[in-house]
Amino acid sequence: MGWVGRSIRRVEDPTLLCGAGMFVGDIGGAAAVRFVRSPVASGRIRAVRGPAYTIADLDADGVGNIEAVLHRPDYVRLAQPLLARERVRYVGEPVAVVVGATAAEAEDLAEQVELDIESLPAAVGLEAALDPDAPLVHPDEAESNVMVAGEMATPELAGALERAHVIVELEILSGRQAALPLEARGSHAVTERFGGRTTLHASIQAPHMIRTVICDLLGMPEADLRVVAPDVGGAFGQKLPLAREDAVVVWLSRRLGRPVAWIEDRSENLMASWHSREQRYRLRAGFNAAAHLEALEADVVANVGAWPCYPITWGVEPLMALAELPGPYTLEHYGVRSRGVASHTCPMSPYRGVSRPVITLALERLMDIAAARLGVDPVEIRRRNLQSDFPHISPTGLRHDEGTYREAMELAVSHVDMGAFRARQDAARAAGGPQPGIGICTFSERTGYGTPAFAARAMGVTPGFENVELSMDPSGYVTLRIGASPHGQGLETALSQIVADEVGTDPGRVRVVASDTDRTPYGWGSFASRAMVLAGGATYLAAQKLATQLGSLAAEVLEAAADDIVLADGRATVAGTSVGVDIAELARIAHHHTQRLPTGTMPGLSEQAGYDPAGTFSNACHVAEVDVDPDTGGVSMRRFVVVEDAGRLINPMIADGQIRGGVAQGIANALLEEVVYDEDGNILTTSLMDYLPPTIAEIPNIEILHLETASDATITGAKGLGEGGTIGAPAAVLNAVNDALAHLGVELNEMPATPERVRAAVRAAACGDSPGDTDRSTQEAAVR
Amino acid sequence: MKPARFAYTAPDTVEGTLDALDRFGDEAKVLSGGQSLVPMMNFRLARPEVIVDIGRVSGLDGMSVSNGTLTVGARVVHSRLEAPTVSTPDGRSESLGGVLGSLLPVVARFVGHLPIRVRGTFGGSIAHADPAAEWCILARTLDAEMVALRQGGERTIPAADFFETVFTTALAAEELLVAVRLPILGEDWRAGFCEFSRRAGDFAVVAAMTAVRLEPATGAIAEARIGVGGVAGVPVRLPAAEAMLVGETPGAGLHAAAAEAAAGEVDPVGDLHGSAAYRRDLVRAMVARSLAQGAGASG
Ligand SMILES: Cc1cc2nc3c(=O)[nH]c(=O)nc-3n(C[C@H](O)[C@H](O)[C@H](O)COP(=O)(O)OP(=O)(O)OC[C@H]3O[C@@H](n4cnc5c(N)ncnc54)[C@H](O)[C@@H]3O)c2cc1C
Repeated sequence: MGWVGRSIRRVEDPTLLCGAGMFVGDIGGAAAVRFVRSPVASGRIRAVRGPAYTIADLDADGVGNIEAVLHRPDYVRLAQPLLARERVRYVGEPVAVVVGATAAEAEDLAEQVELDIESLPAAVGLEAALDPDAPLVHPDEAESNVMVAGEMATPELAGALERAHVIVELEILSGRQAALPLEARGSHAVTERFGGRTTLHASIQAPHMIRTVICDLLGMPEADLRVVAPDVGGAFGQKLPLAREDAVVVWLSRRLGRPVAWIEDRSENLMASWHSREQRYRLRAGFNAAAHLEALEADVVANVGAWPCYPITWGVEPLMALAELPGPYTLEHYGVRSRGVASHTCPMSPYRGVSRPVITLALERLMDIAAARLGVDPVEIRRRNLQSDFPHISPTGLRHDEGTYREAMELAVSHVDMGAFRARQDAARAAGGPQPGIGICTFSERTGYGTPAFAARAMGVTPGFENVELSMDPSGYVTLRIGASPHGQGLETALSQIVADEVGTDPGRVRVVASDTDRTPYGWGSFASRAMVLAGGATYLAAQKLATQLGSLAAEVLEAAADDIVLADGRATVAGTSVGVDIAELARIAHHHTQRLPTGTMPGLSEQAGYDPAGTFSNACHVAEVDVDPDTGGVSMRRFVVVEDAGRLINPMIADGQIRGGVAQGIANALLEEVVYDEDGNILTTSLMDYLPPTIAEIPNIEILHLETASDATITGAKGLGEGGTIGAPAAVLNAVNDALAHLGVELNEMPATPERVRAAVRAAACGDSPGDTDRSTQEAAVR
Repeated sequence: MKPARFAYTAPDTVEGTLDALDRFGDEAKVLSGGQSLVPMMNFRLARPEVIVDIGRVSGLDGMSVSNGTLTVGARVVHSRLEAPTVSTPDGRSESLGGVLGSLLPVVARFVGHLPIRVRGTFGGSIAHADPAAEWCILARTLDAEMVALRQGGERTIPAADFFETVFTTALAAEELLVAVRLPILGEDWRAGFCEFSRRAGDFAVVAAMTAVRLEPATGAIAEARIGVGGVAGVPVRLPAAEAMLVGETPGAGLHAAAAEAAAGEVDPVGDLHGSAAYRRDLVRAMVARSLAQGAGASG
C-alpha cells in the first residue's frame, strides 16, 4: 500500500506542540518598532510632532507608493503611501513610526508623538458610503466612493424573469469580519553591516511576492533582500497582501543599520490589519412551477475600506461575487451588477473563502425561502437544481469539472436522519423552550487555479504557477524545495507522501524546505485552496522525473532494462525477481562514483518541475443542527455534518483538520464575529472581549464523511479544500436558525445572527412586522 | 499592549500592605489575582505608579462560618467556590452545605474560564466592581458586608453603599478589602442564579440572582430579593418586582409576572453587546428562569 491516502501523523506537529516553534516574535535581538495610528476616521494632517519618522522621511529616501492595479475600465487606480500622506482615511491608519529599545519603551515614545489632525466628515458603513452625498474617501482621484464596478447579463434574462412562476426577492447582509490569526502580524529585519543585504522575517503567506514588491518600493535589487516566513500562527488571507508595516520595517533596518522588529498586538490587528466581507446582496430570482431556478438578477455591494490591498486589489470581493454567484446550480439566465465602495474604514483583504461564504449564504437562503414558497422540501428543491452533467459551464463561463453535488447532499441527509429530527422538532414546538432547527447548505469551492484564472482578473501582477526542486542527497534522503509557503496546513507532510510513493522511499526520508526566498524556487505561496493542487502537482511531476533518474541508474547497476525497475520500500528491484539495490546506494553512486554513470549523465540526483492548471471545483454539503432560545435569541450548535468531495485525499486526517478549522470559523462568522464601527468611524471591537471568536464550548463535534471523485482537472486527482468549511457553514447555520423559528414566522438573512438580531426577529414576527429592521428585511414578493 | 512604567512592592503582611497603601495613596493599586488589573494596565487604561502585590500576604484566603454568616477572605480564588469548604474552629475543613453552599458552585462556574478562576480572587472581583460580575451581583442581592482595613482602622461597608458606579467602590485608596461577609441562607430560603453571555466564560450581558424565604407553614414568600447585573453601572436590586412576590406562593404565573415587572423596572443603557430593549428582554428571561430554578431546587 502506498503512502498517499494514509492519515500519517504530521511532521510539523512535534515542534509546534512542544512550544519549539520559531515565530517572528521569537527571533529577538531587535529594537521595537511601533506605529502611531490615526485616532480619527477621516482628517487632514496638519502636523506630526515628536520622536517619529513620517512619510516625509520615506519620501526623502525616494521610497515609492504601492499600486494595486486591475486593468479594467471601472477601476480607480491609486498610489498608496507607506505612511499616511496629508490625509488619514481610517482609524488605525499608520501615520508615523517610532523605534524604542523595548516594546514598552516604543509604546512610551508613541505616546509622546502628537498628531495634529483636523477631523473631517467620514463615510463609514456600506450604505453611508454609497450615499450620493457621502464624504469621499479619495476626493482627488474619484468622484464617488465606487472604486470598482462590474456588470453582466445573459441575453434572455429579462424574458426569463417575466416568465417565472414565482419571483423571490431577498436581501442578504454580511457583517464585517476579521480573519483573526492566533499570531498577529509581525516582521523583523536585519541588514548586514558589510554588503548591505537585508533579511526580513515576516509572518506572511507569500514570501517571494512580498520580496518583489518591497524591493520595487525601496528601489533595491531582489538579490539583496531575503524574505523568510518562519512559523506562521495562522493567516487565512490576512497575511497574503503586502503589509505597509513590513515594508517600513525593512526601510528602518536599512536606514538605522540596526535590527528592528514590529510585533503587532491584538488591538492593532483588530483595528488596522485587514478586514473582510462587509457585503450586501439583493437578489431577484425566478423559479418555474417545478421549482427550478431559471433566472437570477443580483445587485452586490462590498464595502472595501479605505485602500486596496496589493496585489489582489479591492476588486477581489465584488468581482468574485459577480463571477461565482450562480454557485452549484444549473441556472441559465443570470445578470449582476457588483460594486466595491470605499469607506473611511480599515482596508479589506481576502479572508478564507473571500466572497464565497456570502455568495453561498445568499443562494442557500434563496433556496430555502423558495422551497417554502413553492411548498417543496428544502432537499427536494436542491435535488432539482444542482448540477449533475459535467463539465458544466456557468453563465459566467466557469467550467465546473465533475463533482458530486447531489450525491453529497443525499449522503448528508441520510446520515443526519431527517425523520428523527423532525419528530424531535415537533415535540419541542409543542413543549416551548429552546427550539431545534436544521439547515442544509450545498456549495462548490473553486480551488487550485493557476495563471489562466488569475490572468482573467487582469491584475497588475498575475499569480499562478508553482515550482519545486527535488534532490536526493548521497544518504538517500530527499529534499523538496517549494515556492508555496505552508503555515500550519500540513503541506510538508502531504507532499512527503507524494514523493515517497513516486521514489519508493519513506516520508520520514523526505525534508520539505519552504518559505525562504534564499532556499526555494520562486513561487506564489499558500492561499486560495491552491497549495495541495499546485505544489502537489509540481511535486508529483518532479518526483516522477527523479524516479526515472533512479530507474535508469538502477538499470545500469543491475544490468536490467529501465522499464523493469520497481522503486519501493527503499529499494530498486527488477520486477518479478529479488534482484535489487538499495536506493541509498544508488544515491551514493550518483554522487560519489559517477564513473559508474552512463556517459553523458549529469552527476547528482536533482529535478525540478512546475505546475499551472486551470483549476477545479470541490463540492460539499453541510448540515447544521441548532437550538434557538426565542426568549434570549441565543443559538447553540448541537450538531454539524460535512460531506466533502475534494477529489483524491492525500492525507485524510489533514483534510479533516482543514474542514474542522474552516467550519469553526464559519460558525463564528454565522453567530459571533463582527467588526463594529460607530457612525463616526471609531472602531468598537478592538479586543477579544468585543470581537468574539468562539471557544471550544461554542463549536460542536464536526462529523465528516468523504466522497472521492478523482478529478481529471488536476494531475494528482486532488482538489483543494482549505476554504470550504468557512464557505458552507454560515449558510447551514443561518438556514438552521430560520428553520428553528419558522413556525413563529421569523426570517433572518443577516450574519452574524447575534442573539440580539435573532431576538429582534422573534419580536418583529410576533408583532406581525416584517422581520428585522425594515432595511434588513426580505421583501415580500408577488406570487404569479 | 505593554504597561506604562510602574514600581512594584510585595509585602508579606497585612500591616506592610496597609503601610504601603498609606504611603502611596492614589498612586498605588493593589494587585490580587491580576485578572482584571493586568489587562487594564496592558491597555494602559490603568496606569498605577506603584503596584502593591498582596499575593504573599498570609491570612487573607480563609473561609469560615459563624453566627449564620460566611466570611470569605479577599484572596480566596474563584475556583475554590466551585466546591466551597470552610474551616471549623477546631482547625478541620468541611464542605459548606445549605442553600448558599449549593448556590456558590453554580455561580462560580459562570466566572470566566478555569485559568481565570484559579488566579482571580473573590475580593479582587468585588473591589474591581464590574457591574456584570457574578460576585458583585451576589453580594448586592444578599446584602453582603465588605470588611476594609486601613492603617489604624477597620470598617464594614454594606453592599448597598459599596458599589458606587462602574469600576468604582466606596473603598478609599488607603484601604484594603480583607473579607466579605455573606448570609448563609437558612433552609427556608430558595435561591437561583441565571445569566446570558455571548460565549462560555464571558462576562454576562445580563445576569440575575433571586432569593426568596418561604413561610414554613404556608409556603408563601415572606421575603424576596432580586438582583440584576448588566443593566446599570452597578448591580441593582428590583424592589417593585420583589414586592410583587411577597405574600404569594411560588409558581410559573407569579414568576412570569415578577419577571415582567423586573423588565419594566430596569433602565438599561445599550452598548455593543446589547441595546436597552434587548437587555430588558434578557432581564425578563433571566429573572423568570432564576425564580424557577430556585423553586425547582426546593424539591
Ligand atoms: C477572559 C476573562 C474573562 C473573565 N470573565 C469574568 C466573568 O465572567 N465574571 C467575572 O466576574 N469576572 C470575570 N473576569 C474577571 C476575573 O473574575 C477577575 O479575577 C476579577 O474581576 C478580579 O479579581 P483579581 O483577583 O484578578 O483582581 P485584580 O485584577 O488583581 O484587581 C482588580 C481590581 O481590584 C483591586 N483590588 C484587588 N484586590 C483588592 C483588595 N483586596 N483590596 C482593595 N482593592 C483590591 C485592584 O487594585 C484592581 O483595581 C474575567 C477575566 C478575564 C481575563
